[in-house]
Amino acid sequence: MKKMSYFKKKGDSYIIFTATGLILSLAMVVLIMTIILVKGLGFFWPSDLVQVKLQDGKAYLGEQWAESTKHEFDTDGNRITHEEIQFKIGNRDLYGLDFIWLSRNEIEKMEKPKNAFSFERLGYGNFYGFIKSLNIGDKQFNYLDEQSNNAVEAAHDKAVKNRHEIKELENDINKLNTPLVNLQREISLLQLKENKTPEEQNELEKLQKEEQAVTDKINPEYQKLSKKLESIYLENQNIFLNLLTADNREKKLLLADVVRIYRPNDFNVLEKSWIYVKKFYEFVADEPRESNTEGGVFPAIFGTVMMVLLMSIAVVPFGILAAIYLNEYAKQGAIIRMIRLSVNNLAGVPSIVYGIFGLGFFVYALGGTIDQLFFSSTLPEPTFGTGGILWASLTLALLTLPVVIVATEEGILAVPRANKEGALALGSTRWQMVRKIVLPNAMPGILTGLILAISRGAGEVAPLMITGVVKLAPSLPLDASFPFLHLDRKFMHLGFHIYDVGFQSPNVEAAKPMVYTTALLLIVIVVLLNILAIYIRNRLRKKYKTSVF
Amino acid sequence: MVNMKTTLRDNNLDTKVSAKTIIETIDLDFYYVPEEKALKTVNLRIPEKKVTAFIGPSGCGKSTLLRCFNRMNDLIIGSYIEGSVLIEGRNIYDKQVRLEELRNKVGMVFQKSNPFPMSIWENVAFGPKVNGVSSKSELDDIVESALKQADLWREVNDRMDQSALDLSGGQQQRLCIARTLANKPSIILMDEPASALDPISTGKIEETIEELKKEYTIVIVTHNMQQAARVSDYTAFMMVGEMVEFDQTNTIFTNPKKKLTEEYITGRFG
Repeated sequence: MKKMSYFKKKGDSYIIFTATGLILSLAMVVLIMTIILVKGLGFFWPSDLVQVKLQDGKAYLGEQWAESTKHEFDTDGNRITHEEIQFKIGNRDLYGLDFIWLSRNEIEKMEKPKNAFSFERLGYGNFYGFIKSLNIGDKQFNYLDEQSNNAVEAAHDKAVKNRHEIKELENDINKLNTPLVNLQREISLLQLKENKTPEEQNELEKLQKEEQAVTDKINPEYQKLSKKLESIYLENQNIFLNLLTADNREKKLLLADVVRIYRPNDFNVLEKSWIYVKKFYEFVADEPRESNTEGGVFPAIFGTVMMVLLMSIAVVPFGILAAIYLNEYAKQGAIIRMIRLSVNNLAGVPSIVYGIFGLGFFVYALGGTIDQLFFSSTLPEPTFGTGGILWASLTLALLTLPVVIVATEEGILAVPRANKEGALALGSTRWQMVRKIVLPNAMPGILTGLILAISRGAGEVAPLMITGVVKLAPSLPLDASFPFLHLDRKFMHLGFHIYDVGFQSPNVEAAKPMVYTTALLLIVIVVLLNILAIYIRNRLRKKYKTSVF
Repeated sequence: MVNMKTTLRDNNLDTKVSAKTIIETIDLDFYYVPEEKALKTVNLRIPEKKVTAFIGPSGCGKSTLLRCFNRMNDLIIGSYIEGSVLIEGRNIYDKQVRLEELRNKVGMVFQKSNPFPMSIWENVAFGPKVNGVSSKSELDDIVESALKQADLWREVNDRMDQSALDLSGGQQQRLCIARTLANKPSIILMDEPASALDPISTGKIEETIEELKKEYTIVIVTHNMQQAARVSDYTAFMMVGEMVEFDQTNTIFTNPKKKLTEEYITGRFG
């Protein structure tokens, strides 16, 4: 009996109970992270190509993706189960679908031919097949052996180089044309005007003369560039492969449209790893292709980080100011208690409400006014009167403001009273005391607020969807053209990217791994931003640790 | 309780205070909460350039009285005073008085040392800086002389950039004294400055006080009667918010006029 009561006193069962709570939460985190890691990181691994021959004579070449057991009822109402395998067979331009489920019973033979190729293309997804011959100009080389692989690689390199050159030439031509285009816009604006004054008429004639002069000036250069462009283009049209699919259909593939060629069945682990690294790099550093289901997510990474930074710049000063006033200056009483309660409650308002507020207040009211005051020349086309990275960041700043205020207040409350009194006793004003003693000491608390704000802000999607995030942004909000920081531009965001790729994509099955990878990336970015803030906080903590003797 | 109200003021006048009075309280009442006096009609004249000690049992109001002299009590929400406190003949509770100027002139050392989380140099230079001294060389001079006065210079002059929090407890307290001195105050209030220190550090602080009284008026609150006897020229004995007796330290400790004082000093209560 005595032992029992001691056991009760110690409360072992309750300790176990509390530990269970912790274990459950940890298990969830580990589970989520494992799923995302496995599914996300596996995406880049070049899997082997399997050639499947069916009993009815059909043949496919593709990557094996999944297996499942299917339950069906036959015509007599008997339950039958059969094993199915999912293959990614690619070749969307030929088959229409990237994926196919095949029943194990139908399959006659499965093998991994060494000379099977995987082509990642700029359009229409992957192509899986065999090379029949290579065309360069008017010469044709039949595919024979290893030697031919090198030739294909060289031709591919050449085609890709040409493709880049074409892009550069197009850019050059655009740049060359810019002054002319600007002139033509001014001219057409003047021409559209009715009842021109004589001055305007003069101006028009002057501009037209100028237009002629500019045209004459740039014409030789223009001719030269476009000729070069044309020749390279033609050359690239004649570098192509003749391919064979598993069911012996022929297909012509321009090498300029190919991102990457590899033979997974013939590659060893090292070679595969190299492809993995290259694909991963492409994912992080390149722009998306094919309505975001292929290519990289760089613009989304950039947009996310930049939005979080803009949000931090907006929310931290406001949060600090509000918290200082609440704690150091405001007369404590019923009103301040009400305000504190309201601030805390604001943290619980659904984010979509903030989004709608952002749309109504920032985009329409504020943005609309800015447009009328400063950008009236481009109206009715809006500049700031439409969603953009500035408005999205400010909306999120508003959303995270309560978090920053509360954390800063905690930081301020943690500043030892003795230090504050000491500063006042030395004849400093309240403001000097706040600036020199309270603020530096409260910095760790403020940074805690920032960390929470980043975590919350980076993951929000709903308010962004109506204040400036788009599926595909034509240009980054930060670039080399004046004024460098384009706060009015729409932007891409990893959170929205996940939603878009996973649920709005025309090819959901192919995009699924991309969802995991993007989620992984988003988590990594949030963690990195947090680690940065935690690192700064710990350094400050060390500096401002309070003495104990 | 003995009714002393009528006699206290005369008592003080009778005392042979040869020095000039620098702090004078006239019928000072202090309330933390309305209707509840923490100080009851305190009348007191503190002489210039002497050490005056406040003694008395816990909660008797000695710290409260001390904090009235630099208006530190203003920070306590809901508290207020009645009566007046004159410093150099001027009522410091006047509306025109600037708190910063007052606290500049009346420095304070707290019970628990409270160095700021900054370097030693920054700590001492804090006061002059907030009061508008900006030249580095001038600040250097001020810091050096303040640290020398507080008898800390020898120990820290080679590590002025180190954090003040790395100093020992006694050094930290002397740093706080130096910090106060850097403002060149005329009065230094000390609220049990040695109560958290070991005997050796306490001895050092007492030596410092001995040095300082040549130039400054020092008012010290202490729990330790031996300390009061050692360092002070005048002693005030307080009980439950009332000033029981104020006289030269010698007189208080050898020949107190009030029975209450005698009982406390001989250790019969408190």
